Amino acid sequence: MASLTLKGIGKRFGKTAALSGVDLQVEDGKFCVLLGPSGCGKSTLLNVIAGLVPQDKGTVELDGHSVDRLAPRDRDVAMVFQSYALYPHMTVAKNLGFGLRMRGVPKATIRKKVLDTATLLGIDDLLNRKPRELSGGQRQRVAMGRALVRKPKLFLLDEPLSNLDARLRANVRLELKQLHSQLKTTIVYVTHDQVEAMTLGEKVVVMRDGAVRQTGRPETIYSFPADTFVATFIGSPEMNLYRGMILRNGERPVFQGREFHMDMGNLRLNLVGRGVDLGFRPEDVRIVEAGAGTLPVKVEMISDVGSEKFIHTQIGQEHLTLRAPKDASFRPDEIINLTIDLTRLHIFQKGVRVD
Amino acid sequence: MTREALERSIIRLIRIAGILFFAVIVAFPFYWMIVSSLRPLEEILMNPANLGLDFRKIDLSAYYDVLFDHGFIRYILNSLYVSIITVALSLTLATVGGYAVTRLRFRGQSFMSYSILIIYMFPAIVLVIPLYVIFSHMGFRDSINVLILVYLAQTLPVALYMLRSYFKTLPLEMENAGLIDGCSRFGVIWRIIIPLSAPALASVALYTFMIAWNEFLFAFMFLDTPDKFTLSRGVVQLAGSVHLSKQLVMAASVLVTLPILLLFLFFERYLVRGMTSGAMKG
Repeated sequence: MASLTLKGIGKRFGKTAALSGVDLQVEDGKFCVLLGPSGCGKSTLLNVIAGLVPQDKGTVELDGHSVDRLAPRDRDVAMVFQSYALYPHMTVAKNLGFGLRMRGVPKATIRKKVLDTATLLGIDDLLNRKPRELSGGQRQRVAMGRALVRKPKLFLLDEPLSNLDARLRANVRLELKQLHSQLKTTIVYVTHDQVEAMTLGEKVVVMRDGAVRQTGRPETIYSFPADTFVATFIGSPEMNLYRGMILRNGERPVFQGREFHMDMGNLRLNLVGRGVDLGFRPEDVRIVEAGAGTLPVKVEMISDVGSEKFIHTQIGQEHLTLRAPKDASFRPDEIINLTIDLTRLHIFQKGVRVD
Repeated sequence: MTREALERSIIRLIRIAGILFFAVIVAFPFYWMIVSSLRPLEEILMNPANLGLDFRKIDLSAYYDVLFDHGFIRYILNSLYVSIITVALSLTLATVGGYAVTRLRFRGQSFMSYSILIIYMFPAIVLVIPLYVIFSHMGFRDSINVLILVYLAQTLPVALYMLRSYFKTLPLEMENAGLIDGCSRFGVIWRIIIPLSAPALASVALYTFMIAWNEFLFAFMFLDTPDKFTLSRGVVQLAGSVHLSKQLVMAASVLVTLPILLLFLFFERYLVRGMTSGAMKG
């Protein structure tokens, strides 16, 4: 177990910058998730931490010591790959024990550790099989086991669940969380799936274009997104976001958008006369009777996910999505009236959160 | 009979006819060679067109004569030496070289990778004269080891090309897993790449062995001392000798052909077996 510190990591592939100035601190025993769309550099960052890809700039530190000059095998990290990357010519037992064998651990010790790990993951009956005789879920477990068995300082997981079917993925996600709370190891986990990030991560790092956009606890990132990218990337359906200006109506600030205007209540910030992006999440909208200050919208489409409904509506040319209870019933083209929870508004200026 | 069944049976008929046709073309000289090597000399002389083999009159004396009186034991050992050393060197160099051009980044990597086959633009006959002159001047000519060098130069491009294409199909993540698990670069090659490349290595080995075993032109030009002759060179020596006996030449030819045939039968199953299945997602 160890803490991980990244300082100003930069990496270019030819003319494109894959990583530019990434700083990150992962405390001992933390479950850290790197989240971002494909091509944001999160996998490259993981490879830099592992030592598989040398960075052009910056340092990687484990427990406060730079590991930049160490080969992957000397960094004492373990990695689980998206494709699992099991050795097809070895049995499960050999796959699990390979890292230990390379490190000259005595055979009897290897056998014991392999059995312990296999038992922990419930794959002890598969030890004599070859990878091609295993199902996808079993292979995933073997890949996890191969990382676990060595008890390294740091676990690196590169989209380890993305090749499992949806139901299995949810189960393994839970197990992974339990495993982490049991073992208390430091984990860096790469994913593009926000549900994985939010459920697993104690610390979520949202990345885009090779840079960190926001780091924080999942609930912080959800409730206080640092910029419009994070705001729309996290949360499904995504946050409603409108471009407009803050104007003054008497003593009260008012948001004037393209299609609607909205009383901003007792907005403390002095943004009058500034262009802003105004955002609110689908669950922070309520359907009410028509009245003063309510927002009339036209129902366009309803997506029923079973436990609740998402109602996609239109204000003039712009879209607005809101969450409704599962028993709500509306017809397309119906006009409904909304109020928005003013305490849950997100205001961005030039893409960056202001509050 | 439906039209489909008719078509199918016609196609089957054509296929069988085709296979038979080529099988006969290939197998007939071979058959003749074996039969001639096993018949007593008088019988060949009395009835040379007789293709049948009388099992009561099988005569192995030609093999005995070839092996022990005409020095073919020596030639077989020489050929084995040349071929095995060539295979060993070719596999080693092609594995390391093929890995380097597929996985490592260095200046001139793609040029190296594509220029490997350029050597094949020069036919052996163009090279044999200058090499003859060069090796004569250096005093290396009448030597088996020089043959190894030449055969290596002939086989290495194809060996590199074959292994390079195979290595490209091996997943990079698996090598990364090996690096993290504690292998050095050579450890990855030795413990992961080589075991997984068994089919490709087998076909490279077979190809190299066949070239080295069968090669005649350079052996003919370079070797003067009968003690250093390889098999193909020995057969020609035998065929050109004064008291030519047909069944001796045939027996010698069988000795040249048989090992390749057996080798191929043995290696064939490795050539078709794919080992990477199950490595990756699924």
